[in-house]
Amino acid sequence: MKAIFIRSVLQLVRRPIYWVAFFLLPLFCFMLLTSLMQEGLPSKVPAAMIDKDGSSLSRNVTQNLGGMQMVDLKESCNSYTEARHLMQKGDIFGFFLIPENFERDLLSGRKPVITFYTNMTYFVPASILFKTFKTTALYTKAGVAMTVLESVGASPQEVTPLLLPINIQARGIHNPGLNYAIYLCNSFIPGVLELMIFLVTCFSLGQEIKYGTSSKLLAMAKGSIVKALFAKLLPQTLIWIVIAIFMESWLFGINGYPVYGSWFWLTLSEIMFVLACQGWALFFFGVLPNLRLSLSVSALLGILAFSIAAFSFPVQSMYGAISIFSWILPVRYNLLIYIDQALNGVDIYYSRIWFVAYIVFMILPFTMLWRIKREMLKPVYAP
Amino acid sequence: MNMFKQLFKVYCQEFRLVIRDPGIIIFFLFLPLAYPVIYSLIYNPELVREVAVVVVDNDRSSISRELVRNFDATQEAWVIGYAADLAEARRAMDNHDCYAILEIPEGFGKRIDNNQQGEAVLYCEMSLLLRYRSLLVASTNVAQAMGAEILSEKIDLIAPLAETIVDGDLMPIKNITMGNIEGGFDSFIMPGVLILILHQCIILASGMAGGAKRERPSLIGYNSFNEQPSVLMTMFGQMLCYITILMVPIIYLVHYVPLMFSFPMAGNLFEILMFLLPMVLACVGLGWCFQGVVWEREAVFVLWVVTSVIFLFLSGLTWPRYAMPGFWKAISDCIPATWGMEGFIKMNTNGASLAQVSKCYINLWILAGTYMMAAYCVQRWVVRPSVLKGFNAYPKIKSDSI
Repeated sequence: MKAIFIRSVLQLVRRPIYWVAFFLLPLFCFMLLTSLMQEGLPSKVPAAMIDKDGSSLSRNVTQNLGGMQMVDLKESCNSYTEARHLMQKGDIFGFFLIPENFERDLLSGRKPVITFYTNMTYFVPASILFKTFKTTALYTKAGVAMTVLESVGASPQEVTPLLLPINIQARGIHNPGLNYAIYLCNSFIPGVLELMIFLVTCFSLGQEIKYGTSSKLLAMAKGSIVKALFAKLLPQTLIWIVIAIFMESWLFGINGYPVYGSWFWLTLSEIMFVLACQGWALFFFGVLPNLRLSLSVSALLGILAFSIAAFSFPVQSMYGAISIFSWILPVRYNLLIYIDQALNGVDIYYSRIWFVAYIVFMILPFTMLWRIKREMLKPVYAP
Repeated sequence: MNMFKQLFKVYCQEFRLVIRDPGIIIFFLFLPLAYPVIYSLIYNPELVREVAVVVVDNDRSSISRELVRNFDATQEAWVIGYAADLAEARRAMDNHDCYAILEIPEGFGKRIDNNQQGEAVLYCEMSLLLRYRSLLVASTNVAQAMGAEILSEKIDLIAPLAETIVDGDLMPIKNITMGNIEGGFDSFIMPGVLILILHQCIILASGMAGGAKRERPSLIGYNSFNEQPSVLMTMFGQMLCYITILMVPIIYLVHYVPLMFSFPMAGNLFEILMFLLPMVLACVGLGWCFQGVVWEREAVFVLWVVTSVIFLFLSGLTWPRYAMPGFWKAISDCIPATWGMEGFIKMNTNGASLAQVSKCYINLWILAGTYMMAAYCVQRWVVRPSVLKGFNAYPKIKSDSI
């Protein structure tokens, strides 16, 4: 066993590809995702104003809009066509249109229409712009209504509450600022880790079969497949656990993403996550004991995980036949435990099932050991 | 004539190589044919509807019940039930039964009757922002619609004359979404992902082809050698071969996938194909550079697959480019997918013409030129010598020696 362990460590150390896969790529992704979204929200969305009225009221609206935190009124257009061109070129993500004779029509009760356009091709900036535009339009409307009502004899004290009689305040629990980094990094970074664990596990085992060294490996373990695989994969497990713990401290410690629950369960989850990923990779390596095919499956599952484990689009909204596949990925449980234990800080009782799922992933490969052993005894490389 | 003969020979040889290698064929055909369908199916419901909400109604007045009814009636929210107090509602949320709690305080109805503002609070769970967004839209719409009703009921009491002026909507507000007009998630993310799939399939396939050339023929069972005297001619022949094979996947990706899943298709197909040409060239070039570090066929998976995530984020699809830190923006400038995705999205979804995406188009040609030149160097001084050295630029693995 010790000999296999040392052999396995040497294999990892000698080939640069393992250095890249264990350290360079995951750490690069950690850095990229967290620093890319440092600001939390992409504020100052480029937008344009089309003021066809040019009255004092419309200029007021422009000023109010320009003063909003989330928008950058970088262009002022004369026509709809001009603004649409700018949008198609990607210079702006939306525009606000004040029609001709806006002030005059408004005060004489001819009901001019304010229109705003948002380019939903880009979801995040467009949503921010939508919210800002709508708020501005509503404020304008409220101001106008006040003026009109006062002119017919109502007192401001009576009118003000009537402009918005019902207010529903939406409060985001534990992420009130809608920080995008908190939301995306905590799911995508473990997703990257899962992908790399799948790939490295299958790659290192497939190499033994490709180069016909697997029979030697089995002989070193005196024919015991459990011993052979355990000693072969243990060095990787240790490295991955170190990286997973680093990931945890990178996210919640260094970057300070919220942890409202217990660090203990979170750490346990990361360690079990590593083992579950290795177990799952070992399982489908057993099903397809071929270097290229098992790597293809790793890539397929690892990349699909970013969508199907519901990092952004909820499982409840997917088609039923598709959504069941979200449960076959360890990273899904990592996400659920993170949501429960870090973001929402609920009792561990509510997350118990997710930990059981990890254990299932760890047990699964034992059903495939016989296949792996058969393949390792008579290694055949199929390109 | 000799040159064309040589070119033709490389072209045929490369074609044979690709077709006989199941790994490369998977990248060239299976990946662009199957992935978009799987992806689109995941997101195809487009909108997040019927998010489960629990209500804590401490008021129990007719107006609070009306509020809950209206909220439930929106397509975004689904009231699964009432809870006696916040603690009970919290338990439902902890148990993953609901994703938000609507709390209506005592005296809510009375305040509205007394011409004061009634305030309710919607506590949202923040694990997925799309859920929060849906609930926010629902609650704003309900509050505004009910508010307008109450205003028109009450205005008469305050100022009898006002009704004549405030009859109906004083200043209608219209909002028009452009491009992705339904605001669906699938139509937002997929056009970009389609181009990313094309980008990755070219580089993965070319990386694997490079790996195959450097492996021992005893392992892969055939001579994967493509050795023509001129590196440039070899590259040119291979490029033509790749473009021939890619014709079908490209048309499928940019035309038939959007057609199948009814994504926005505002662009002109011919212009889009013209636009994608430099991106394909840049990808082929990048793939050839990548060959410099691929020593065996299967290494491409370990080395390249994760870049899909990196490129997706750097492309500015989820996090817009204007808000990127300068360093990352500079890196994203060097990736063909960034410009390919941006340009394709503008053409396909916003209906921009080729002239309007000229910035992306020019950048793609610059990248294509740069990567081709770099590829020549890599092929000439790294890949070719190691192939000529008799396949064994590969003693570094030493798996068998341990």
